[in-house]
Amino acid sequence: MPHINRRESMFRIGTSLGSVAFASLLAGDTRATESVGPLAPKPVHIPAKAKNCIFLTMTGGPSHIDTFDPKPALNKLHLQEFTRSGETKSAMESGKRYYVQSPFSFHQHGDSGAPMADNWQHLSRVADDLCFFRGCQVDSVNHPTAMYQLNCGNRFGGDPALGAWVTYGLGTENANLPGYVVLPEVSDPQGGAPNWGNGYLPAFYQATPLRPMGSPILNLSPPPGVTANRQRSNLDLLKSMNEQHAGLHPQHDELAARLESYELAFRMQSEIPDAINLSEESQQTLDSYGVGQSTTDAFGRKCLLARKLVEKGVRFVQVYNGGWDSHDYIERAHSNRVRSVDQPIAALIEDLKARNLLESTLVVWCGEFGRSPDNGVRGGVAYGRDHNPDAMTIWLAGGGSNAGHTIGATDETGMTAVEDVHHVRDFHVTLLRLLGLDDNKLTYYHAGRFKQLSQFGGKVIDKLIA
Amino acid sequence: MLLFHRTILGFGLLVFAGVAVSAEYDESALLFTRHIAPLFREKCLACHGEDVEAREGGLDLRSLQAVTDGGDSESPGVVPMHPEHSSVYRAVTRTDDAFSAMPPKESESLTRREIGWLHDWIATGAEWPTEKIQEAIRAEYGNKWSHEDGIRVQTSGGLSDSWTNRNYDPKGLWAYQPLQESTVPDSHENPIDGFLQAALPKGLQVAPPASRRELIRRATFDLTGLPPKPEKMKAFLNDNRPVKEAFHDIVEQLLASPHYGERMAQHWLDVVRYADSSGFANDFERGNAWRYRDYVIRAFQNDKPYDQFVREQIAGDEISPDDPEGLIAVGFLRQGPWELTSMEVPRVARQRFLDDVTNSVGETFLAHSLQCAKCHDHKFDPVPTRDYYSIQAVFNTTQLVERQADFLASENRDGFDEERFLKKMEQGYRESLQKLESVLQKNAVAWYASQVEQALPERRPQILESERQWKKLRAKAKKNGKSTAFQKTRAAVMKQGVPQSDVPPSRVGFTPRQNGMQRVATKGLQRLKWEFDRYKPFALSVYSGGTPTYEKVLAPLRMPQDSAKPVVEKMHIRTGGDPFAEGDLVKPGVLSVIEKHVPAAIPETPDGRRKAFAEWVTDSKNPLVSRVMVNRIWQWHFGKPLAGNPNNFGSTGGLPTHPKLLDHLAAEFMKNGWSVKDMHRKIMLSEAYCRSCAHPDPAGLAEFDPEGRAFAVFEPRRLSAEEMRDSVLAITGELNERVGGVPCRPEINEEVALQPRQVMGAFASAWVPNPQPEQRHRRSLYILKLRGVRHPMLEVFNTPASDFSCERRESSTVTPQALNLFNSKNSYDRSLALAQRAWSDIDKDADNRDELALRRIYELVLCRQPEHHELEQVLQSWRAVEAALPREARPDGSVPLTASREAVEELSGERFMYDEILYANQEFKPDLQPNDVDRHVRALGDICLVFLNTNEFVYVY
Repeated sequence: MPHINRRESMFRIGTSLGSVAFASLLAGDTRATESVGPLAPKPVHIPAKAKNCIFLTMTGGPSHIDTFDPKPALNKLHLQEFTRSGETKSAMESGKRYYVQSPFSFHQHGDSGAPMADNWQHLSRVADDLCFFRGCQVDSVNHPTAMYQLNCGNRFGGDPALGAWVTYGLGTENANLPGYVVLPEVSDPQGGAPNWGNGYLPAFYQATPLRPMGSPILNLSPPPGVTANRQRSNLDLLKSMNEQHAGLHPQHDELAARLESYELAFRMQSEIPDAINLSEESQQTLDSYGVGQSTTDAFGRKCLLARKLVEKGVRFVQVYNGGWDSHDYIERAHSNRVRSVDQPIAALIEDLKARNLLESTLVVWCGEFGRSPDNGVRGGVAYGRDHNPDAMTIWLAGGGSNAGHTIGATDETGMTAVEDVHHVRDFHVTLLRLLGLDDNKLTYYHAGRFKQLSQFGGKVIDKLIA
Repeated sequence: MLLFHRTILGFGLLVFAGVAVSAEYDESALLFTRHIAPLFREKCLACHGEDVEAREGGLDLRSLQAVTDGGDSESPGVVPMHPEHSSVYRAVTRTDDAFSAMPPKESESLTRREIGWLHDWIATGAEWPTEKIQEAIRAEYGNKWSHEDGIRVQTSGGLSDSWTNRNYDPKGLWAYQPLQESTVPDSHENPIDGFLQAALPKGLQVAPPASRRELIRRATFDLTGLPPKPEKMKAFLNDNRPVKEAFHDIVEQLLASPHYGERMAQHWLDVVRYADSSGFANDFERGNAWRYRDYVIRAFQNDKPYDQFVREQIAGDEISPDDPEGLIAVGFLRQGPWELTSMEVPRVARQRFLDDVTNSVGETFLAHSLQCAKCHDHKFDPVPTRDYYSIQAVFNTTQLVERQADFLASENRDGFDEERFLKKMEQGYRESLQKLESVLQKNAVAWYASQVEQALPERRPQILESERQWKKLRAKAKKNGKSTAFQKTRAAVMKQGVPQSDVPPSRVGFTPRQNGMQRVATKGLQRLKWEFDRYKPFALSVYSGGTPTYEKVLAPLRMPQDSAKPVVEKMHIRTGGDPFAEGDLVKPGVLSVIEKHVPAAIPETPDGRRKAFAEWVTDSKNPLVSRVMVNRIWQWHFGKPLAGNPNNFGSTGGLPTHPKLLDHLAAEFMKNGWSVKDMHRKIMLSEAYCRSCAHPDPAGLAEFDPEGRAFAVFEPRRLSAEEMRDSVLAITGELNERVGGVPCRPEINEEVALQPRQVMGAFASAWVPNPQPEQRHRRSLYILKLRGVRHPMLEVFNTPASDFSCERRESSTVTPQALNLFNSKNSYDRSLALAQRAWSDIDKDADNRDELALRRIYELVLCRQPEHHELEQVLQSWRAVEAALPREARPDGSVPLTASREAVEELSGERFMYDEILYANQEFKPDLQPNDVDRHVRALGDICLVFLNTNEFVYVY
């Protein structure tokens, strides 16, 4: 049983070197930088260009048909009755349903001629940096289960998220920052925090969500009124008591790690606010991301922060944008969503490029599934679309992805992927590959089995790789 | 051709040789039959076999011809006599850059022996005898080989013959063997010590006994999750009897403590994944789940025989349908996350329940992760897919229900008066809908006006007709329901034949905010239906019958009028795990690998399947169930189990380090009426349990027991999250010691409490703490456990989420723990409460009151008295802190009365805001706050904060 030993030794490393997790945010602390703990940088399995990943998650399921995968056939079918057969119908699909044309017009952009809905006014500038993937399919038609599958590979939640796997596989590049940061929406998505959980991986690989309200990290500072001096003096007493105690228990090696974790925590209090402060950015940069404009401010700040974090070596940043579940009034709803992300995303890609970071930063844009070509039509006006696990558009930029290409295709109504069709597990395996990780080697022994992100293995989608 | 010929020749020989005479076979043919064919089947054919679509790299490993041809790489898979030119061989060595390593999963790499066989097989000519010849070879050599290669096991049979006939390494089959009664070594009084001694690595010393202080602290935390009270500690230290005798009394007292049941329940709830909500899109509250939690507490507290405990959880409703306890106990079957929304396919949701319950029963009671056999026969263990679905068939008639079950006298109904806050919320939502209704009514009038004005002349009469109908039908609709009159009018008008396009849209003229508010109120009312169930005499339960057809489940499910009505479904093997696939029909059954020891007879009637199954599980001849439980109990004391994975006794789980001891304990367990308390006594009174954490020869320990498996020294452990929180409350004197009852809501970080949480169509309500301190300061076991919101402190100190069964907790040290314990408002509040307690415990006229207060803190937190130099140091710190503090403190106990919500409204994609009213906060009574005490005590609060953060407090030795 060699794996049992390996697992136990994992526990051991875990407990004795725990304090480097959440990674010491102390700038220039050499001990932390030289750490050999669970978060120490690890060699890649396969040489790769991408070192970091920014994962832009549009929750609710953006419509591929109304963004990047135009379906002119729907113009002819508009308001013709749509039928779906089979026992796999959910109650959602009751009532008469009709094909619905896209309310958006499309144009091709860049040398690649990638089609985009016209409301992508900014993103169209960087069309040639994007690699569109139209072949992805997921298993679930429901938000939380589809979100879990997109994030963790398993529909039922509880498994480690992609970012946790990547941090487990590669360690943190910069020991002064957490390896995996999540920038959530104001409200948590359906399914909640397990979407960025570490699952059965040790807690070192957990995400650090930076909260949009209140303290960005819980308990980062003591209650109001507690001065740094007062805290320092409390900490000194604690340290002294802990040292005396450790003297009586020389064989108990966890004591040192726990003692050290307090010192790290104290220093983090002053370091974190600086690390996430956008005020040193130039006005031009802020403007380019749309910071300060009401429609783009929230997402613009997050994209800018994502760039900053990646620049400092954070391995994996997941940025959330909510509200894409347009069952009705898709023109209005999707227009608003696109407006809130279009400029920030374009700015992010251009900014990364200008700083020579795009090559080493894999940017991913996707939702948990695509949308259907049909809908129940409410009163003849509220054209919208339902969930569709069989077709979606994902795009990649940078990080060795196949810029300027569109991979895969959906059928003429956008109902299902028909070319280069891949289960989302293959997409996961491909992302890992772009980051230099082999899904078959990136395993963790848990509950009697070596587990992996793809659950049972998947195929690299070579066409997505440059 | 030559190869083909030789194979024919082999066959010919056999025919002539008949059965009695040994045939001569080529070494290569023997190697193939014995090792290579099974190896290919097990490790390669899934991707290089029959399924053309699944075939990787175009390589087919089913015949010599195909292998020789090779795959897409066009290099031959096998070149007879030349392993070094054979791509199959080169790939499995994993060191050859030209070929990707195979099998792809590193953890499934071939062993050196397996690679050797492949090498030798190719080097000896890569013979590939026909099936018939292989059969003949097996007939001749089978016995000899099975002796060397492992053994065959009888099961209900796999999906393929090769699985059915495969061999197992006997080591991995230990758990299926009947309990082995071995002679108890007579070296020690306690058999546990005898067995441990017998297995102790030669040359390894054991640690000396722990001190009395360590011992009582260890035992008290282990059995109650709380620290010993100072008077208990003093009494034990001053007890003149030998430690063994005195400690025996301590164990007895602890087993009788009302907190014993709570502590054991915590362990059990980890295994069963207890939660107060259902997860997924809606995360609806399971209002009655707490009654199952309390059932578990009662069961441990009353030392309910474990076999009965198991039977009740599987089939309490069938065993005692008239006893609320039985109906509550089967809440076990409901612990997995589950929902059915209109977005989901009912059959898929039903299958999810069946899969969940099948696996859960397997992991919890039989230490078998049965889900491994859901899509294919178990890769490593003798668990065929047929067994998986036979066991699932036991639950095929199990239906979900929130079922009438009267409250028991022993159930704690404190805090039921808080239902009033739910009523206020309900009222609020109704009023909101009422307002929106009048908006719709007004907008409808405006809509008709504008339609009439804009309509083409030929359409105008239709609109006017619609309006006429509207006015006529509106009055009636208003009479029937004030807040829904608009929708009712709309439906009634359409029923009169008015087309949808001529009536006002269902949300006519709504602004994004009004759209949002309507969703919030509608959803809020829906959610409240589940929350009101907390206070009603219903149980989270099941019944036996046919599967009803639901489209969606948006309110608690009550017992149907006629539970037999829907037809009982037949159970098919769901081939490949596809809920729509219909493979072979199966009958309700059990784990067939142990059926020969424990025969089962499960009826096929809807009722009684689970009862019969539960009896099979707890049959004294079942080799799994008793071992599984004593292994868990052992781990609850020593921090690690005897068999490495308490949820997995299969071949991939850790083998028992002390199999004889495990079997001895399992047998004793049953002999003593499945008494869990008796098992605690046996374990805790052993020398091994009473050992010190300090080993006299650390170098020897590292050398002779590098894996720490000998139990030669006691391993210290960090307090679990719950122990930490509960102990702090006990120490400050704030702990409400009432056992059981509706879930409580302590104060948590505002960022988390008010964090908006999307549920289907709207938001879940905020986390609003109980207004009364004593309701907030209940044991952590009672904290409302929502799948969608984790309690921040419990989460950071490794309380497991409710997604999977937790067989053993992690206790990694990460920096957020320090932030939580050192910075949180909760820590400051508790520290102040402790300071106040310690200060007021001392006579106010005592002239060394400061010193006595500090001594009090030492005994409460660290269970000891300070050394002189310690006291001096702490006194000095106290004075220094006090000097630096301002004379007046600002009040800090206010709570928000509303929570501002901002979200994207999905109909428009626009943001909207609203305020959620936090009703319970209107009556909030804060804990002791800094401005309630003087500066001296406030400064002592800081000292207490330090104490509660010390390693000495958070570790148990």
